[in-house]
Amino acid sequence: MNAVLVYFARDMRRWIRGRFNVWSALIMPAAWLIFVGLALPTRFTDSYLDFIAPGILVLTMLSAGMQGGSSLIFDKILGFLNKFLALPSPREAILYGKILFTTVRGLLQASVIMLLAVLLGATIFTPSLVAFTYLVLFVFGALLSAFSTSLALFVQDHDGYAAVNALLSMPLFFTSSALMPYDVMPPWLAAIARYNPVSWAIDLIRSFAAPPVPWTSLLALVLLALAMGAVSSLLFRRVTV
Amino acid sequence: MATIEAAGLTRRFGELVAVDDLDLAVDHEVFGLLGPNGSGKTTTVLMLTTLLRPTSGTASVSGCDVVREAARVRERISYVPQDMAVDIKLSGRENVSFFAALYGVPGRDRVDEVLAIMDLAERADDLAGTYSGGMRRRLELAQALVHEPEALFLDEPTIGLDVAGRQAIWAHITELRRRGMTVFVTTHYMDEADHACDRVGVIAKGRLVAVDAPAVLRRQLGGERISLRVDLPATPVTVEGARLVRREDDELIYHADDAAETVPALLAGFAAAGVRVRGLEVAAPTLDDVFLALAGRQDEGGSFDYRRFRNLMRRR
Ligand SMILES: Nc1ncnc2c1ncn2[C@@H]1O[C@H](COP(=O)(O)OP(=O)(O)OP(=O)(O)O)[C@@H](O)[C@H]1O
Ligand SMILES: [Mg+2]
Repeated sequence: MNAVLVYFARDMRRWIRGRFNVWSALIMPAAWLIFVGLALPTRFTDSYLDFIAPGILVLTMLSAGMQGGSSLIFDKILGFLNKFLALPSPREAILYGKILFTTVRGLLQASVIMLLAVLLGATIFTPSLVAFTYLVLFVFGALLSAFSTSLALFVQDHDGYAAVNALLSMPLFFTSSALMPYDVMPPWLAAIARYNPVSWAIDLIRSFAAPPVPWTSLLALVLLALAMGAVSSLLFRRVTV
Repeated sequence: MATIEAAGLTRRFGELVAVDDLDLAVDHEVFGLLGPNGSGKTTTVLMLTTLLRPTSGTASVSGCDVVREAARVRERISYVPQDMAVDIKLSGRENVSFFAALYGVPGRDRVDEVLAIMDLAERADDLAGTYSGGMRRRLELAQALVHEPEALFLDEPTIGLDVAGRQAIWAHITELRRRGMTVFVTTHYMDEADHACDRVGVIAKGRLVAVDAPAVLRRQLGGERISLRVDLPATPVTVEGARLVRREDDELIYHADDAAETVPALLAGFAAAGVRVRGLEVAAPTLDDVFLALAGRQDEGGSFDYRRFRNLMRRR
């Protein structure tokens, strides 16, 4: 556990000191909130900002989570991973530290986006919703970072990883319930969106503002995250050595 | 039992045999593994440091098997890889503290101590990104030494450093050995290996072709090296008793059993060919010459001929 925190602290320090990176990741979700959330004329809701905010928070977490793999790739390419693997501390700590860092970084970025949404006039964020949002984002973030770090174990270079990332992230976002409710989607899209874990996270946050909350979705996300974590450590053990 | 032992250690990558049936025992010494690019040095180090599984054969560090007791091996070693990897956004001290925490070394004293040993105390709180190449290497050594390993593995520790930087690294390595550590180091620089290593192993195409003290290898090669500077263009003359071993621009290097006999013949030969000889030097063979005799043929495309080498060694 201690080693996990040591790796986590290393990544946090490095991230915070790379000042540009800290802010650049926020540009895309902020642009979505401002240019789409405030500007898009919609008929199915009074406040599109309130509707889209949960989707953008999950989007923030989605891209943050996928960046975790990128961070692991760099450690691999630059020779850090080999140095760490030769250390006596448990090797899985490298992986868990990376997952923890990626998730926490995503939560911090999501916090800024949440603040921005409130400043822009979003009204849904009551204290209890904020707490619940963090819970959902944490589980979702852990799921994604476990997934992206597993992916990173098999990709040899950063370009390859960026390509796979682009290939997955955007479709996952657009085939979710982020931008519109199921009943205004074309039927084929609605069918896909209902099985997209991105939608589950978004729907959970929305439903908390307008119950009932689909607890089974939360359970599904938790189980998925645990399963992904298990797969990830299995792969990690297989690839290293 | 020697600190580092290998028996029949082999690693294949598909068809390619990167390390071929390597037997070795290294104990309380600075051991240098020499070989041309792609000869299997890094692959050997990776297997000894538990980072790569051998295809066959065994190896152990301090009696612990690198496959079955990998975790215990890692408690006893430090490894500095070929590509320099320090966190440039962390200070020197943070880089070392980070490793100390992972090694389970408590407190700040040891961190300060190794930083001081590596002459980094003054710059310890600057970001490693502001360090020179030599300082980064020393920082990596500081990271590796913070837990006082029994065996230290260094893959090309002096590559890319200037003369002073290289000397500093070797001085540190020699000092570690004096304090009883076993140091396993790979390098391309023969003169450095000659000075600093107690023994060297020459590896070519994955096979260990010679292991001994540098002086012994030099003596075994025997004879003398005759280096001639000539005006170009020049076709090297051939003389009984002298072999042309290398040619660099206008410098021709011969290896001869008896220089006193062959030098006049060589000079006469060049005179007859109308080639002016501008310089002549006779010296004992260097480790470079040994290395070329042992491993040089690899670059020529042909496979290394061990028998030919033995004959060459025996010709004295
Ligand atoms: N992961 C790998 N997959 C396939 N081939 C590999 C792999 N690692 C090394 N090799 C091959 O094994 C051989 C030995 O490589 P190695 O890196 O051990 O050489 P080296 O002696 O360290 O060379 P250098 O001096 O350039 O560092 C090379 O032919 C290399 O291409
Ligand atoms: Mg190498």
